[in-house]
Amino acid sequence: MTEDEMNYVLNLKDLDKKAISVVGGKNASLGEMIKAGIHVPPGFAVTTDCYLKFISETGIDDKIYETLKDVQPEDVSSLDRASERIKACIQEGSISGDIREAIEYGYLGLCRACAVADVPVAVRSSATAEDLPTASFAGQQDTYLWIQGVYNVISHVQSCWASLFTPRAIAYRIKNQFPHEKVFISVGVQKMVNSRTAGVLFTLNPTNGDPSKVVIEGSWGLGETVVSGSVNPDRFVVDKVIMEASVKEISAKHIECVFDVKEGRVINANVDPKRQCTCCLQDEEIRELVKIAKHIEKHYGCPMDIEWAIDADLGFPESIFIVQARPETVWSRRKAESVIGKKSGYDLLMEQAMKRIRIPQ
Amino acid sequence: MAEEKADRFPDPHDFKVPKELEGWEEMYPSHYLFSKDRGEWEKQQFWYLDKIHAPEPMPPLDLIFQEAWQISLSQYTTRVFCIPPAQGIAQRMVGGYMYICAIAPPPEEVIKEKAELFGKRVFYVFDHYDELWDKWLTKFKVLGKEMAAVVVPSDLPKFVPEDQVIPAPTGCYVSYDLIAAFDKLVNQMFKGWQYHFEMLNLTYLAYLMFADVVRKLFPGISESAIGKMVAGAYVSMFRPEEELCSLARLATSLRGVSDILKSDRTAKQKIAELDKTPDGRQWLDQFNKAKDPWFFVSCGSGWLHYEGSWINSPDIPYGYIKNYVERLEKGEKIERSLDNIDKQRDAIVAEYVGLIKTDEDRTAFNNAYNTIRTIYRYAEDHLFWVEHWFHTIWFDKIRNFGKLLVKAGMIEDVDDIFMFNRYEIPELLTEVATGWALGVNIPMRGSYYKAKAQKRRKILDAAKKWIPTPALGVPPEEVAEPFTIMLWGITTDKVKEWLKGMKAPTVGDISEIKGFASSAGVAEGPARVLRLLKEISNLKPGEIIVCPTTNPSWAPVFTQIKAAVTDIGGLTSHAAIVCREYGVPSVTGTGVATTVIKTGDIIRVDGDTGVVKIVKRAK
Repeated sequence: MTEDEMNYVLNLKDLDKKAISVVGGKNASLGEMIKAGIHVPPGFAVTTDCYLKFISETGIDDKIYETLKDVQPEDVSSLDRASERIKACIQEGSISGDIREAIEYGYLGLCRACAVADVPVAVRSSATAEDLPTASFAGQQDTYLWIQGVYNVISHVQSCWASLFTPRAIAYRIKNQFPHEKVFISVGVQKMVNSRTAGVLFTLNPTNGDPSKVVIEGSWGLGETVVSGSVNPDRFVVDKVIMEASVKEISAKHIECVFDVKEGRVINANVDPKRQCTCCLQDEEIRELVKIAKHIEKHYGCPMDIEWAIDADLGFPESIFIVQARPETVWSRRKAESVIGKKSGYDLLMEQAMKRIRIPQ
Repeated sequence: MAEEKADRFPDPHDFKVPKELEGWEEMYPSHYLFSKDRGEWEKQQFWYLDKIHAPEPMPPLDLIFQEAWQISLSQYTTRVFCIPPAQGIAQRMVGGYMYICAIAPPPEEVIKEKAELFGKRVFYVFDHYDELWDKWLTKFKVLGKEMAAVVVPSDLPKFVPEDQVIPAPTGCYVSYDLIAAFDKLVNQMFKGWQYHFEMLNLTYLAYLMFADVVRKLFPGISESAIGKMVAGAYVSMFRPEEELCSLARLATSLRGVSDILKSDRTAKQKIAELDKTPDGRQWLDQFNKAKDPWFFVSCGSGWLHYEGSWINSPDIPYGYIKNYVERLEKGEKIERSLDNIDKQRDAIVAEYVGLIKTDEDRTAFNNAYNTIRTIYRYAEDHLFWVEHWFHTIWFDKIRNFGKLLVKAGMIEDVDDIFMFNRYEIPELLTEVATGWALGVNIPMRGSYYKAKAQKRRKILDAAKKWIPTPALGVPPEEVAEPFTIMLWGITTDKVKEWLKGMKAPTVGDISEIKGFASSAGVAEGPARVLRLLKEISNLKPGEIIVCPTTNPSWAPVFTQIKAAVTDIGGLTSHAAIVCREYGVPSVTGTGVATTVIKTGDIIRVDGDTGVVKIVKRAK
């Protein structure tokens, strides 16, 4: 492999937040977490260099800038047309030997490491301007689940590249004056978690900002149902310090996102009625998730929004994976104001002594 | 009752108790009865069943503790420390059960006056707490010793002893001593209960203040987390158990002692056996040293004469010691590491402090925390000395009177003395004294009192089978009284739950009850309902205890049970504290657990959420 090719693909475990410009926020964050000892599914990043090499050697770059030059964000049909055109170019553009080799090298390495031939992977875009606390692009690029084989991986890397040019993404950049040529894309290829249960968690209570709580939402199957809001997840509110759950809400989780072998893709399957109302997490899993959440929050030094999954094939606690982590944006932006004020123990005692508790009739 | 509107409980004056309880009123002093002359006031108040202090129908003499706390608790709030908007707690009896009421705030001008006094008096206590505590303990121990020293005549001699007549006549004799001794005990009991609340109201107030500060900083924080921050490890209430642990350790280091202790003999037989060898005697010696005060712990709450104490139910401590010796021999560790508990608490507090965002809040938190920590030990320590040690001495003395009354033919059994209230006993004693003084062959009214005692026992037995209504009267608009909030956990939700319970068709239909999540964890298993505290001997390892309240003297039992559920008790109730100490899941303050759950039901106790599910009913 040439030196260039080596720069096209980087193992996630060799990354950290300094790599953000070449692997994007999502990949850099995953690398950062691996370094911090967090259990993250193994994988590799297809770098922005690789993307740049692809668009430049195919001449697609010129076509892109040409096409986007006169597009107005309010003009929906011109936006759509431009998007379609660019996406087709990228999707159909022929991949040169060295890029192909680099991705193949990354994927086969992953198969070896996992000891599985054609290991199923998740292919996700990781944009360089994404996931910054002040400019959340989250969800603007695509994710492809359960992809197997080198050919499919490469084709979905191209799909991710193309996802940089959805009408929404184009419009967003124009509105926010992000130059298109400054927004590069990296792609993450990560071993698929055979997810029994998955979901999101926050390292504070998003409803009231209580910093002593971890709020976990989870459902059966892959986390997509929770993220997209297509099921009412089970909800747990756990105290970070004493590790006790103050809320355990079990909802009827009617569907789950699973890989369908026959169809060869991920589908939303019905959950049988009995399992719908069964709690999707064991107590020990909840506790472990809280521990991990605290670790991640401490590592980043700010409240975090985290995606997690529990592998059906692995034993606890190896079964628990973190698949994504980003700074929480709502409460973090608020200015910290004193809740109690400047008060002595006696002030507080006097206040309490004067108190009456109303019992509404 | 079923027709009651959902927003109020029955009017106490119209409330009818079952026929079997007829005549219950005569057991208690008249001011304990709902009465027409106070009717207007009484029916406007909210009266709820006090299962903490009166989990069982009240034997007439045991009412003395309630009488004493009604006065003492209330006076510290209203007249001594003057918690501005709070008034006292009033008591009434209905069908043998006690109902209490936190009285509504006084007029505004009184609140103002009290606020001034509060500032002056209360802060002094916090500033001088350690010194005041030392003084408190010293004077309390003196009082207990004084009570122990009261001589109860064991006999009425045919003629007074010579030395009481010449050369220096005492001038007053057993007929006087008899009545004087009882009066003295009553007075000492009242004094002990005056001391009991000396700093307790302030402790509870400080706790509520701290809890409020913490809740502002961490809106969703659980009561059990707050409890963990303030609770201490070196608490008198845990000493009896520690003493047992060290006795068990001593046994394993002596020759032949463990084998005797592990045998299936009674405590009495074991003691006789131990007394035969030097090592055995050495061990007994140590046991006797620990006995006063630590084994004066009640087998129950300390509130009822029939609960017994370790000192008069030696099979209980000997049973625990047997278990500890066996565990030691298996190489298990039996002591709880108290240093670790303290360290853990400090670590927990530090972690919460670390989550506070501003310096100002961190300072306020520390101020609040130091205030509660200064005084919290009082809440944990007074309990052993008053309800356990002091009450045990009292029961022992009263039983001496019982023996005398049996001898005098006034009552059948020693414990029948508890069937008469503290105003009636002087009447019995006076009759005995009079009979003695009048000479020989004087007829006495023994059959009258014996019949009375029997009738009262019947009423109390019937009352045990009756399930009293949780509350009477009108739910209040506001509560300011710290004990009501803290100890009984009276909140809007609680009242609503009770109102719901009023209309519940039958107990068997309920499959889930709610209470405070007072100790974390989840456990499922067969329930053992212990409505009477002495039923504890029925408990089998792996069962879940369901009881009106739990008690720290059951401590060694907590290593055998899966979980605990109680009717009454907030998160800082004794039950909650012990369960957390032992890592046993618990749900406290359900209001109805002992009514709804039956022994043998399979229940699931979720100490994280405060829900108890009846998974499967016993056949």
